[in-house]
Amino acid sequence: MPHRLEITLKPDIVDAEGETIRQKAQSYFNITLENVRTIHVVTIDADLTEDQLKTIQTEIFTNPVTQVSSYDPLNIDFHWCIWVGFRPGVRDNPGSTAVEAIENCLQIKMGPEYAVFTSKRFCVKGAGLTAEDMDTIAGELLANDIVQQWKIYDTHQWDPASGIGHIIPRVVLNHTPVVTTIPVGSDSELAKISDQRNLALNPNDIPTIRAYFLKKTIQDERKSVGLSDPTDIELEYISQARSDHCNHNTFQGLFRYEDLSTGQTVTEDDLFKTYIKTPTLELKEKKPWVISVLWDNAGAGRFDDKHHYVITGETHNSPSNMEAYGGAITGIVGVYRDPLGTGKGSKLVMGSYGFCVGPRDYEGELKPRLHPRRLLDGIIEGVKDGGNKSGIPTPFGQVLFDDGYLGKCLVFVTALGIMPAQINGEPAEEKKTSPGDLVIMCGGRVGKDGIHGVTASSEVFSEHTPAGHVQIGDPYTQKKMHDFILDVRDQGLLQFITDNGGGGLSSSVGESALFSNGCEIQLEKVPLKYEGLDQWEIWISESQERMTVAVSSENIDQFLALSKKHAVESTVIGTYTDSGKLHITYEGKTCAYVDLDLLTSGFPQWEFDAQWQPPERRGLYEPVLKEPKFMDALLCDLLSRPNICSKEWITRQYDHEVQGNSVIKPLVGEERDMTSDAAVIKPVLSSEKGLAFSQALIPAYSRIDAYHMTSCTIDEAVRRLISVGGNPDHIGGVDNFCWPDIQYDPVINPDGKFKAAQLVRSCRALRDMCMAYGIPLLSGKDSMYVDGHLPGKFGETRKVSALETIQFSATGVIEDISKCISMDSKIPGDRVYLIGMTRNELGGSEYYERLGFTGLNVPAVHPKQFIPCYKALFLAIDKEMVASAHGIYRGGLGVHLALVAMGGNLGMNIDLGHVPVDISEKALRNDTILFSESAGRFIITVAPENKNRFEDMFQDLPCSCIGTVTEKSDPFKIKGIDNKSLISTPVQDLKTAWKQLFGDLI
Amino acid sequence: MTPTDVKVLVLSGYGLNCDHETAYAFELAGATSSRVHINELIDGSVTLDHFHIMAFVGGFSWGDDHGAGVIQAVRMKTSLGEKIVSFIKNGKLVLGICNGFQTLVNMGLLPGFDNEYTARSVALTYNDCGNFRDAWVNLKTNPQSPCIFTRGMDQMEFPVRHGEGKFYADDAIVKQLIKNNQVVIQYATGTGAPAEIKFPENPNGSVYDIAGICDPTGRVFGLMPHPEAYCQLTNHPDWTRIKEKNKRGKQAEPDNMTPGIQLFKNAVDYMSRQ
Repeated sequence: MPHRLEITLKPDIVDAEGETIRQKAQSYFNITLENVRTIHVVTIDADLTEDQLKTIQTEIFTNPVTQVSSYDPLNIDFHWCIWVGFRPGVRDNPGSTAVEAIENCLQIKMGPEYAVFTSKRFCVKGAGLTAEDMDTIAGELLANDIVQQWKIYDTHQWDPASGIGHIIPRVVLNHTPVVTTIPVGSDSELAKISDQRNLALNPNDIPTIRAYFLKKTIQDERKSVGLSDPTDIELEYISQARSDHCNHNTFQGLFRYEDLSTGQTVTEDDLFKTYIKTPTLELKEKKPWVISVLWDNAGAGRFDDKHHYVITGETHNSPSNMEAYGGAITGIVGVYRDPLGTGKGSKLVMGSYGFCVGPRDYEGELKPRLHPRRLLDGIIEGVKDGGNKSGIPTPFGQVLFDDGYLGKCLVFVTALGIMPAQINGEPAEEKKTSPGDLVIMCGGRVGKDGIHGVTASSEVFSEHTPAGHVQIGDPYTQKKMHDFILDVRDQGLLQFITDNGGGGLSSSVGESALFSNGCEIQLEKVPLKYEGLDQWEIWISESQERMTVAVSSENIDQFLALSKKHAVESTVIGTYTDSGKLHITYEGKTCAYVDLDLLTSGFPQWEFDAQWQPPERRGLYEPVLKEPKFMDALLCDLLSRPNICSKEWITRQYDHEVQGNSVIKPLVGEERDMTSDAAVIKPVLSSEKGLAFSQALIPAYSRIDAYHMTSCTIDEAVRRLISVGGNPDHIGGVDNFCWPDIQYDPVINPDGKFKAAQLVRSCRALRDMCMAYGIPLLSGKDSMYVDGHLPGKFGETRKVSALETIQFSATGVIEDISKCISMDSKIPGDRVYLIGMTRNELGGSEYYERLGFTGLNVPAVHPKQFIPCYKALFLAIDKEMVASAHGIYRGGLGVHLALVAMGGNLGMNIDLGHVPVDISEKALRNDTILFSESAGRFIITVAPENKNRFEDMFQDLPCSCIGTVTEKSDPFKIKGIDNKSLISTPVQDLKTAWKQLFGDLI
Repeated sequence: MTPTDVKVLVLSGYGLNCDHETAYAFELAGATSSRVHINELIDGSVTLDHFHIMAFVGGFSWGDDHGAGVIQAVRMKTSLGEKIVSFIKNGKLVLGICNGFQTLVNMGLLPGFDNEYTARSVALTYNDCGNFRDAWVNLKTNPQSPCIFTRGMDQMEFPVRHGEGKFYADDAIVKQLIKNNQVVIQYATGTGAPAEIKFPENPNGSVYDIAGICDPTGRVFGLMPHPEAYCQLTNHPDWTRIKEKNKRGKQAEPDNMTPGIQLFKNAVDYMSRQ
């Protein structure tokens, strides 16, 4: 019989969770609540004695100092009560740890028939609250109907004796697993079945699939193992492997690129090969520090003689858009498995985030599934729990708001790891499976979670997107597995390791079996969360926190003993072979028998039409604008804009110093409140070397040209790295593309050809910049279909596409961390230098955006001009001549000078007349100089005694002293080119403006 | 005993995550440290008697799902409770940092009034600010405290990184802690004055600004801030500013012996003298 324990804080203790709900109800919905008390409900579905119940109540679930609890409903006064619990099958992390705790405490073993479920009850008080108010709070603040259920009680509906009753969200399938054979009589028949079963087979792939299964030799082979037509598990396997998410069909596609201004058409065959693979391999030849690229879960570079660093970046957009917390935590925990599964395994040393969402204060007519504010709250919390509970610091992150992300948000998650250069005398970055090695699944168990997640993320979000692919990551289980993997790695027990992400076992076993050229899997051995899964579901389930590992049979006992020590479940599920076949059996009966090379042969390339129309021919122009008169107010206004202002409230929720490796923190400056250009960590505690890391996102420039969007994004990431002391000769890159659908369709995607052209241009910029700056792409991913169909005010549905977005990550090794610097001005009297040319490049700028313009003159990157400056700056920092360095990014010179001054809490005296300006330009106006977002620029402060040495290093380069750092009591002053005072504002006022938008959030 | 003979057991496993840097900090302080999985201690493959200092480290043991440190406390108390109590009674040292502090109070090893090491009388509960918070805090040491770890230390800065760090207890208990000088460190302003529960100086709403307490012997110490996160000058949030000022003769060169290492060294030196 189930038991329900209710726990709450004693009345005199602040209920911080309840108080947060009260505040959000007020600020989000203008609903005034007097008080909210939170009751934690633990429902124990197990036969326990009175004594046992009493023991776990006092020892585990109730803190005698702060809490009270009861197996009867707690008598807490309310006007309304809202109960929120998980839906069946949704990961209940506290429920699982409760089982462990009960087993520990009572020294018993709870069988699979027993379980613990957690839920919450909120007792709400407030005058005049309506049922509708409660619906709003429950549905739009406390719960998401995809993963949760809720009930609302008023005082009349509440029975104090039975309370919420006993709600047991247990999954009961009552289903006998069955393998279905699928007829392949005709293309249309298979296409129809693909639709019905949500297989998402590409229509162009269907003939190839059919041809394989209709081949006589194949049919004969199949007959010998008892198979005829393809089984569901086989088609699911092919569907997963051929999905855009796994196979990158878009990037490997054929693009017919037509420039409408010249009428010329070029064929671009395989963007990945042309613009990513070839340049990276070329650079690998020139850069001996590049260790491993283009094949593993993450790329690797040399950190020192004894260590390699590892990096990769991912997105988790579609799931986060549906269930922000679950999607985001699954995303960050998931990307952490990539370094863990790189080479023979890497220790995670840092993570970062990039969130792109609709305006937080959106009040327009469209109704996204989750309001951007709620979406952002959930994403922040998901990455917080995922990162913090993994014990991995999060010292860098960015947030960007734009209407385009109302259709689908972007959640970028990036992970860095470190591995020993050698394990048992063998290179740690190498791994392979060999015939006879055992196939082992480690970590979590398999349920229906995430089935068709991969194929869903390859589709535009609509009301038909299956909700079942939303999961909740479990950092606790994964942290145990992480520690275990590193232990067995160091003992030399791993032959091969990869993670189970998209596609589950289907992808991880399928890909690892390519090395030995075959495998035999006994699917019934896979441990399940609950009975009743079909074989194909076990095979493709994306249940989280799992790795697939190859261990040779002589090491298996030692491997399993260490698994037990770390309390990690590991199961042998098969053997690698050299048969050339993926052979899956279930209780002795074959249910899949496919040639492994089927996937690499004969599938048609995807094709796209791309049409480029240059911006001036699309009707873009420079606005007619007279110079503003109130520059102080304008500067403060820009500082307070969502994409510029302080987001300290997010940064501080993330543990950015765990592992003791922090060198340059995300928040710097005298008051430790300014955003750092980049992060530096010290991943090997005993070494004085560091790893610098930065990212950039400037999708606004895509409104003009994705070529320049991409080149400016890469340039910004590079400058961020150099600003903290990074070496321009050692920069590794990670590209993360997020693009709207590029497949033209006259009805559903009429601008598809333009978006395809933008993608081609973006790839060209990626190659051009990587070659110019010498950046090998250590890793990268693409996420297409960033579109949404949102209900509007009149019952219509409107398609909203995101801006073409690339997040670029840059990383590099710092030889001596004690030479790193931060962006804040340091000492009054220091000289302020501007490095780089300022041009008339206001197109797509924050300034224009503020005034409602797009403009035309988008910033361009000129690597040949920029690189000598970057090298000179690196040397100056290396010689410890620079007191602070800060790149000029979104918002331009005015905004970034202000940030440098705010960092030091010191005044500044600037003369725009000294700003280096390209002589080919016409005389620039004050507003152009202040707010142009020209690339390639830095603001540097230098001690007066270093003047000559510093200036010598920049001889013949665009670098001028434009002013000085002044005293704390002095204002932030800028003199215009006409020698008149343009801006004079106390630094604290600038800071107030910069903090006002989100300053009250914690 | 020389410092290297001082053997430190640093717990790991089950979601703990500060084991590497805590072990490293003890090494910097001169000791020999071992990361030991909780299960190795429970199954007897590693014995506690072999060690002089036991460190409960930061992390999210068992996900902190039912109150931070609660399940770890149940696990340790059930399997090793008596061994740990005799470890303490044998004159050895126990340190709990963050999740470790939460575990010590849930096991009852702190506050340990009257040498009674099983009663739960103080709690570390949800921050008043309602969220996890990473920020460096100023701390003021109680010079009268018997705590071994903070001997000779006055003011210091360490980061806090927690969602459940609000120290809470009944008035009578707090008064007794104060009276016994068991309040070792308090959250303070930059000048060392008590924070008086003001955010963000007191980051979580702890009563009496309590950031760390010891048992009456001073040999069991728990604190929410992370000393192991300040083992090197470049860990400090202001280090680039301090370095620049020092170069210009505007600030003295900071001591390489950070307060973080000093805290561990006090413990190692104490044990090596026994």
